Amino acid sequence: MNPIDLIFSSRENKPIPRIALLGQPNCGKSTLFNSLAGFKAETGNFSGTSVEFTESMAIVAGRKVRLFDLPGTYSLVPSDEAEAVTRRWLDQGSVDALILVLDASVLSRSLELALELAETEIPFVVALNMMDDAARKGITIDVDELSRRLGVPVVPTVATRGQGVVRVVTEAIGAAARHGRANRPVYDRDVDSAVEQVAALMAGTFEGSRARYLAVRILEADPVAEEIVAGAGQPVLDAAVQIRRGLAVEHGWPEDGVFASHRHAIAVDLFESVARVVRNPGRPIRDRVDGVLMHPVLGPLVALGVLAGFFAVSFFAGSALSELVVGPFKAFGGLVESRLPGIAGVLARGTVDGIGGGLAIVLPYLLPLLFFMALLEDVGYLPRAAFLMDGLLHKVGLHGRSAIPLIMGYGCNVPAIAGARALESRRDRLLTTLLVPFVPCSARTVVILALIGAMFGLKWVLAVYVMNIIVAAVVGRVLSSVVPGESIGLLMDIPPYRLPPLKSVAAKVWFRIRSFLISAWPALVAASILMALLEYWGIQDAANRFLSPFTEGVLGLPAAVGVTLVFGIFRKELTILMLFAALGTTDVASVMTTTQIITFVVFVVFYIPCVATIIVQVKETGLKWTAVSVGLNVLVATALALLARLAGSAFIA
Amino acid sequence: MGEMTLLEVEIDGQVTVKTVDRGGGFSRNLASLGIHAGDRVSVIRKAPFQGPILVRVQGSEVEIAVGRGMASRITVESD
Repeated sequence: MNPIDLIFSSRENKPIPRIALLGQPNCGKSTLFNSLAGFKAETGNFSGTSVEFTESMAIVAGRKVRLFDLPGTYSLVPSDEAEAVTRRWLDQGSVDALILVLDASVLSRSLELALELAETEIPFVVALNMMDDAARKGITIDVDELSRRLGVPVVPTVATRGQGVVRVVTEAIGAAARHGRANRPVYDRDVDSAVEQVAALMAGTFEGSRARYLAVRILEADPVAEEIVAGAGQPVLDAAVQIRRGLAVEHGWPEDGVFASHRHAIAVDLFESVARVVRNPGRPIRDRVDGVLMHPVLGPLVALGVLAGFFAVSFFAGSALSELVVGPFKAFGGLVESRLPGIAGVLARGTVDGIGGGLAIVLPYLLPLLFFMALLEDVGYLPRAAFLMDGLLHKVGLHGRSAIPLIMGYGCNVPAIAGARALESRRDRLLTTLLVPFVPCSARTVVILALIGAMFGLKWVLAVYVMNIIVAAVVGRVLSSVVPGESIGLLMDIPPYRLPPLKSVAAKVWFRIRSFLISAWPALVAASILMALLEYWGIQDAANRFLSPFTEGVLGLPAAVGVTLVFGIFRKELTILMLFAALGTTDVASVMTTTQIITFVVFVVFYIPCVATIIVQVKETGLKWTAVSVGLNVLVATALALLARLAGSAFIA
Repeated sequence: MGEMTLLEVEIDGQVTVKTVDRGGGFSRNLASLGIHAGDRVSVIRKAPFQGPILVRVQGSEVEIAVGRGMASRITVESD
């Protein structure tokens, strides 16, 4: 073996450290991750679940590391299913070290998570982020003292400007290598003796530090720890729970809160010894902005205005952009077909149409929409929308938190349904998951804009959205009276406004665009080719004839749209492209009546969710509820399309 | 002075959190968001359509939206 190979193989043999970023929501964790990993990152799933994390290989200060960006969490005690999945994964020893990202501007609250982590067996370092915000709030932090008290390295960072990020990773690599342990929090004597008693109960089954860790978690009423201990023997768990009850009675505080309130006292003490609040200048900007955006009357008006304005911009910019591309592609497709003989020409035209369709119809609408959604998410507007909508959503049996997935649904239903996982109660998750497919995603927005917008103007586009919201509200109301249980209610942090770095927003948009490029665009091209072939072989007509009792008979549409609707199930983006192909023109008004166009749009807005949505629904709610969801959508779509047809024939000549 | 539920506090009212009713992780969830017994909080906003109230915790200055049902289970004392 030559020397160079030796060097390489010795490098390869050194295991790549696995380092995960953990932190409370809005602590700047993802910004920190993006500044290290950027656009190379991939999204992955915890095995067997649809809970997502972002992962990337990165080279930091010459060392290769595997970085994970975990979902934000306030506490190690999971408050929803996604957090439970993340916790189990961490408890299995899946990482070598953690970077705990703390928001320095709300340090006293963040420190509780640090104290929780100090009881685990996972080495960690602290990234004390948002030091600039803390300084603005008049908080100065003695970083060395904090490090000494916690017993772990603490690195001040400003993730938005990339400050300190390399050093924090280097420290984490070091902590992983030496299996660094934090100082354990010192509890009051009675709490400490409860920990010792519970740990002693488990001494036979778990080794020392693991038994102690589990003891603390059990006293915390942590369900993940209870699972682990119950696996080792129910009597042990029962005895441990008895000790927890005793402690709660003694302190006169609910069983699930006694340990947390005790830890809070330690965190406050720690905060006071490491931080000084020099002055509290208040928060004039935030208060003034919230005074409008969260105002009982102005707030909802602004929200509606923002949404309407956004669709207007997306409509004008989108249609201008798409016109620039659609013409040349159409001409090129025709030219190719005329030059190539027989089936080759058909294949080529299908390909060109598919590529052009993706580029010309979808990207101009998708890109602005996704950018806007990412901006709303990162600026911190969505929790405020949830605050405003809570009251109204209660009337349809949900609460404010559901507003976030429902609004996200306007971008894409798939992440919206995945986002519904953050809802604590199973009932809220189920109802929200059933309602999300009623929200027209960007792909369906393309259909609405391209048909209703282009032919009847923006006013009618807005009418479609208003109609859609009314229908969704009625469906929600009916569902919530059918699905048993009651809503827990809203409890939600309202974070400060933050101007996200462009790179973070761009990375988010890129992830979603990439998923379109990888999964949808090829499907679009394939479907377009298939459509051209079906037409060439005349099979399309047979399929359309098969569907005609429904399309022609019930909905009163041209039989040619039958295949279009089938393709639309694969990707909603296909609907409009396929419609143009099926009708042989982009001037739909020349072959369909006004009533037919409206009926078609109404049906497309509500019918079967796309395949990707169905897949994520199955993962989240199971087959039975997915079937209910699909059935419900078809039913509502058919009923409303029928109504549109009847109304159209009555009022439109 | 008097004890009442958080729901009954007027806008701009400052109160001290006394007890939290009902278990089921509620008091722990409150604690993890930054509301504890003994904390001084003020109600700074109320949402329309009988929506939630917005509470600011003194000291940490975090702002938490608390739904009406939840607010009615938090006992506070005005000073």
